Amino acid sequence: MQKFIGLVGTNSDRSTNRQLLQFMEKHFSDKAEIEIVEIKEVPIFNKPADRTIPEEVAKIAKKIDEAAGVIISTPEYDHSVPAALSNALNWLSYGIYPFVDKPVMITGASYGTLGSSRAQMHLRQILDAPELKARIMPSSEFLLSHSLQAFDKDNNLNNQEHVEKLEELFADFLTFVEITNQLNHAHALNKKAAADFSWEEI
Amino acid sequence: MKIVGIVGSNAELSYNRKLLQFIEKQFGSMFDFEVIEIKDIPLFNQSNDQTNSAPIQNIHRKILNADGVIIATPEHNHTIPAALKSVLEWLSFNIHSLDEKPVMIVGASYYDQGSSRAQLHLRQILDAPGVNAMVMPGNEFLLGKVKEAFDEKDRLKDQGTIDFLKTCLEKFVKFINVVTVLEAPKKEAAKPEDLHATGKVDTTIEGVDMEADDWLEQAAELVDAVEGNTYVKLDRGLLTVDQLNYFLSSMPMELTYADSNNQFLYYNHTKPMEEMLAGRTPGQVGNPLAKCHPEKSFKGVEWVLQQLRSGAMDSVRVNVPTHGPDKFVVHNYQAMHDPEGNYVGVNEYILDFKPIVDWYLEQTGMKLEGNVDAVSSASVKDEGETVDAVSGASESY
Repeated sequence: MQKFIGLVGTNSDRSTNRQLLQFMEKHFSDKAEIEIVEIKEVPIFNKPADRTIPEEVAKIAKKIDEAAGVIISTPEYDHSVPAALSNALNWLSYGIYPFVDKPVMITGASYGTLGSSRAQMHLRQILDAPELKARIMPSSEFLLSHSLQAFDKDNNLNNQEHVEKLEELFADFLTFVEITNQLNHAHALNKKAAADFSWEEI
Repeated sequence: MKIVGIVGSNAELSYNRKLLQFIEKQFGSMFDFEVIEIKDIPLFNQSNDQTNSAPIQNIHRKILNADGVIIATPEHNHTIPAALKSVLEWLSFNIHSLDEKPVMIVGASYYDQGSSRAQLHLRQILDAPGVNAMVMPGNEFLLGKVKEAFDEKDRLKDQGTIDFLKTCLEKFVKFINVVTVLEAPKKEAAKPEDLHATGKVDTTIEGVDMEADDWLEQAAELVDAVEGNTYVKLDRGLLTVDQLNYFLSSMPMELTYADSNNQFLYYNHTKPMEEMLAGRTPGQVGNPLAKCHPEKSFKGVEWVLQQLRSGAMDSVRVNVPTHGPDKFVVHNYQAMHDPEGNYVGVNEYILDFKPIVDWYLEQTGMKLEGNVDAVSSASVKDEGETVDAVSGASESY
């Protein structure tokens, strides 16, 4: 069975995005293994000159490296991704390149109506940056609105339409991972390009 | 007009910081400009509310008291740095410093595009309901290829770029005025000052009549104050009370301390009242500030204290020309803060600058010239040798 990482896009103790990933972990347990990964302990990124990566970041990078794909669930803070998620991605593209060519599925939950739609658009643009260069599943969006009311007491999504949509998207994601694995001709080159990439030297 | 410039990076080396510092040097005559850093601000976490921490309160106060804000953002991974996003999250969580505040965005990058994508994200972020800033439209200032953009004195090399930056800043000043009209009526001004010191702070000594002539003796007895040869541990030093007195008395200026409750607590008593630049009597110590000033000056005193307490200004200087042409007497009111940044009172020093200016002229061989154009002084200032003596001297003390 393939192994995936479910990256919780917030450092908040309480998060419906974490709940969503936990639901996926349980709901898709017969199709894939999803390990929930937290970004809570990642220190603030300050572009250290010596490029030393904190231990916590190295741990996450290793998990991503070994995973078949990553599912990121992002809240929306001020029309964009939380600083904590952006911060983790800053580290995960600073001298290490675990996301290069990695299949990524984006989900998001929000208390309001929009379901983190704007944060998800920003996240796509961020993951497309030269030093991240992830393979984001195209034309797919899972926006969980009114997320405080979306789960029952057993942490299951209580709306069947949401469940079906998520099932279809996840099936697509498994296919997307397969296809992406065939789109690997340029992988070595892409990795090198990311490593060689330097804003200082362009 | 007061504008703060926020360095959108927590990195040691930042060209965005250089850009703001250049604005400060080059355009210091257009507005009062202060560059502020975000290095000490912790990563936002809604489960660990640090809104009341000193670094966040400091930036909050500075933004609240500014007429406008310029944010200089680098670009990391096609967006703004996490450190900057984190600051904006704190400032839109339980406090809303940028609410309706005019904001101008600038950015510098190593590559050609000058943080263009980060600037677009920043616009969207500043437009979020919790932030609700008034971002100036158009006038996008993108500084590309920053490594070649500055000379060895950290000045922008290209005159066209400087001119364009100037145009953007001039428009921003107009934009601030337009927004101010939009937002009328003006928000509530700073709270009124209690010159009668009827409140109480941690250090207020109760049980002694503030207006008593021997307030000092009574209060000292009450708190068992040390004197004479007793040591006092200071940051950083160890002096006796006597030594402290020698030290403060030897300062070539009149020093006064009033606490945050507006109680007059100290002056360096070296002369009788008639010989002082601003008369003080020993009996005034302990008085509320209202007792130290004639009633007609209350409005002015209150205004000064409001500026200092609110952080709108850290010092207020007034030239008092009542001592004749051979003196240039300046009353300087300086806000005092504890290590956490809280206002703890006012340090007033009164000094005749004339001997210092004379000495400066003698040492440098420079002469005073009349009718100096005040506007040019700021830009002339950083050129060192060619500095004009009048503006240079008065600005450096």
